[in-house]
Amino acid sequence: MSEKEKDELLIKGHDYDGIQELNNPLPGWWLMTFYITIVFAVVYYSYYTFFGGPTSDEELAQKMSVIQSEQQIAEESAPVKSADDYVALLDNPEVLEKGKAEYMLKCMACHGDKGQGLIGPNFADEYWIHGDGSVSAILEVANDGVLDKGMPPWKGVIPEETLEAVAVYIYSLQGTNPEGARPPQGEKVERN
Amino acid sequence: MSSGIQVNKGIMDRIIYDDDVVKMFLYATIFWGAAAFIVGLLAALQLAFWPANLELEWLTFGRIRPLHTNAAIFAFGGNIIFAGIYHSTQRLLKTRNFSDMLSKIHFWGWQLIIVGALITLPLGYTMSKEYAELEWPLDIAIAVIWVVFAVNFFGTIAIRRVKHLYVAIWFYIATIITVALLHIVNSIEIPVALFKSYPVYSGVQDALVQWWYGHNAVAFFLTTPFLGLMYYYVPKAANRPIYSYKLSIIHFWSLVFIYIWAGPHHLLNTALPDWAQNVGMVFSIMLWAPSWGGMINGLLTLRGAWHKLRTDPIIKFLAVAVTFYGMSTFEGPLLSIKSVSSLAHYTDWIIGHVHGGTLGWNGFLTFGIIYYMVPKLWNTKMYSLRLMNWHFWIGFMGILLYYISMWASGITQGLMWQAIGENGQLVYPDFVETVMRIAPLYWVRFVGGALFLIGFLFLIYNVWVTIKHAPKKETVSYVEVPPLKSDVTAIGTGHRKLEALSLIFTVILFISVLVGSVIEILPTLSIYKYLPTDEKTEPYTPLELAGRDVYIKEGCYVCHSQMIRKLPFDVLRYGEASTIGESMYDRPFQWGSKRTGPDLARVGGKYPDMWHLRHMINPREITPNSIMPSYPWLAAKKTDYNILRKKLSVMRMLGVPYDDNEVANADIIAEKEAAVIYEELISQDKSLESVKDTELIALIAYLQSLGQKTSSEEVSQSNN
Repeated sequence: MSEKEKDELLIKGHDYDGIQELNNPLPGWWLMTFYITIVFAVVYYSYYTFFGGPTSDEELAQKMSVIQSEQQIAEESAPVKSADDYVALLDNPEVLEKGKAEYMLKCMACHGDKGQGLIGPNFADEYWIHGDGSVSAILEVANDGVLDKGMPPWKGVIPEETLEAVAVYIYSLQGTNPEGARPPQGEKVERN
Repeated sequence: MSSGIQVNKGIMDRIIYDDDVVKMFLYATIFWGAAAFIVGLLAALQLAFWPANLELEWLTFGRIRPLHTNAAIFAFGGNIIFAGIYHSTQRLLKTRNFSDMLSKIHFWGWQLIIVGALITLPLGYTMSKEYAELEWPLDIAIAVIWVVFAVNFFGTIAIRRVKHLYVAIWFYIATIITVALLHIVNSIEIPVALFKSYPVYSGVQDALVQWWYGHNAVAFFLTTPFLGLMYYYVPKAANRPIYSYKLSIIHFWSLVFIYIWAGPHHLLNTALPDWAQNVGMVFSIMLWAPSWGGMINGLLTLRGAWHKLRTDPIIKFLAVAVTFYGMSTFEGPLLSIKSVSSLAHYTDWIIGHVHGGTLGWNGFLTFGIIYYMVPKLWNTKMYSLRLMNWHFWIGFMGILLYYISMWASGITQGLMWQAIGENGQLVYPDFVETVMRIAPLYWVRFVGGALFLIGFLFLIYNVWVTIKHAPKKETVSYVEVPPLKSDVTAIGTGHRKLEALSLIFTVILFISVLVGSVIEILPTLSIYKYLPTDEKTEPYTPLELAGRDVYIKEGCYVCHSQMIRKLPFDVLRYGEASTIGESMYDRPFQWGSKRTGPDLARVGGKYPDMWHLRHMINPREITPNSIMPSYPWLAAKKTDYNILRKKLSVMRMLGVPYDDNEVANADIIAEKEAAVIYEELISQDKSLESVKDTELIALIAYLQSLGQKTSSEEVSQSNN
């Protein structure tokens, strides 16, 4: 653009403290963008507000039902383990290591670093408040929690396999007699 | 010389500009800028390394984050706006400011408010409404000083010596009118003590009003005034004409009309009714083009001055600022799309987005303006061009590090939160795992912030030496204009005519921002009438209310939301989606805007009291990798039971159904509630005697009530 052309575009009489103004047309792509967003806005808003688009509650319900059926399928297809299967895991140092690591992150705060019990009960003696102290009973409490007593449900928070390892680790603590253990609570259960 | 007018040979009036007030605001900008950046850097450090609060309550994240945002926006941003407006308006209107006295009151009043914020926010006096945290006495002071500014500004327009208002002035008018409206409506609150009040709005109403305010604080405090400054300083610095007058008209009006509607995009996928969410989303998308109109006009005004990019650091700062404006205003509409928001909201992506705008657009534009103004005001040259270049590059590197690390952090964490496995379970159910993943990026962000601050130190040194070496002789800046006479020549037609009619212009502007505000806010004010009748929400007990105010005081909302969105991964992680009814007595609402820690909407009853007690005193005892600060002081401070009667009576006045007995005996009731919690704790651990009647007990009562106050009639739950 030559100097002359520029001068032609300057608007006469527009001079503010030396600032002058050109009067270039609105850029076409810019105007088109503006129009497209306006059309989009009208269509989107009308669909969701006036013409029966799904509400956010409906969308959530639909997605949750898909997730719930996935959860159900996963649960049903999971292999059921017997008490013997769990006891066999006790001999697996990898499982114990994994269980201990997770225990230190999630359980230690209430049950003590050696299972001696703090806010929560002692794991190292033969007395059990909830269930019979078997791995599956421990797992059940860990999964569902004991809400009145402040034990949170860990299902969905700790992955299933890890939680199993934690239960096995807890099971292995019996008889370790840690220092400062909380006095026995619940019923005495003999292991055979 | 108070009138500032000298008659010169009876032909021309010589008008002397008041540059003293401009210099004062400029000093204040630099001073508070340093403060805002340092506090920001400290906050950034605390997220990477929590003990950086030095275990002092006044320096803890929840209290200094609001201090950082307020200082950056209203102290650094505010002062440069006032400096720029007073400097450019006088020259654009060829008149001295309306009143030197009002200018001085404006200056000192504003600085006192900042000092007030600097004292009260670290002490925990806060409304907990973002960018509107200051308590009621300071709110009143802000309103008064803003009116002083408005009178001074419109007075200057009234005595102007040019007929037509330049586009920069339009933006200044939009700023002054709309900020007054936003501030006053959002700050309607009932005091209960010198530095404590409750807003008249509750729950979803409060959320909507707050984000109507919060979003438009960005619009009318960080956008419109800075666009006005851009329209003056870019053409002045580049010595080029404005690219398109037509474009400035179209983008100005579309911007101010559309911006005001977009607030609900801060509340997407929440309990806010769908229609309001959709309004927020579509208006945010329509905002893209009007925003880019400003960028186009700024950048294309530089057309023909591009060679100066190599030689003139001022042009560099301005060009990069306008480019960042374009980036942020593209990212904003993008983030307002509901599905993008579901990923980005509550994450660091938003923090990155905000800082792209503030550091890049507001910061660099301010630096460009300071480098332009200082030599003009002190009648000299900048001391060192090389330091200006260093400032530019170091600052620019800092912004990039900041922006990129926060993008990476936000998107990483957002994707981890969303991930659902084939078994229908969360892949990363453990919140702290997602925090550990992004923690290294907090160090990168800290380095970015540090570079930005170092660049600014170069500016301080450069400006200081420049002023020190400036000629000592007082010089004044003036203009000669023909004497006032009755002028009957044509003022033009159409928009040109409007530019000459300042009052009508202002009225039309006011109506354009009022339309969206009224349509959006009014229906929400009666929203609780339409709640399902089979649902009942209990008000907070006196002790829970006391604990709630501790939660607010410590700024817990800064890192924890209380809003489970209508999104599957939120529901899987935190429980049923939050409803409107659940927060109907929440004054102020605590929905939050960031999840540095997990959502707390349904934390009540999830853990025992002892868990909370130990977690508050030292979070790492419960969650070894937690980055949450420790709050030992809560276990030492006694709860103020006496004020509860007053608090409950104010709440009742605002419509919360407390009965006479609860109000009259609030203190006794609270004390009894606290005793129950204390007895249970002491039965478990005899060494806890000192926590009796402390704020920690009240806070535990509040936390245990979250998600427990609402029950449906059919499945009646007991409320503890």
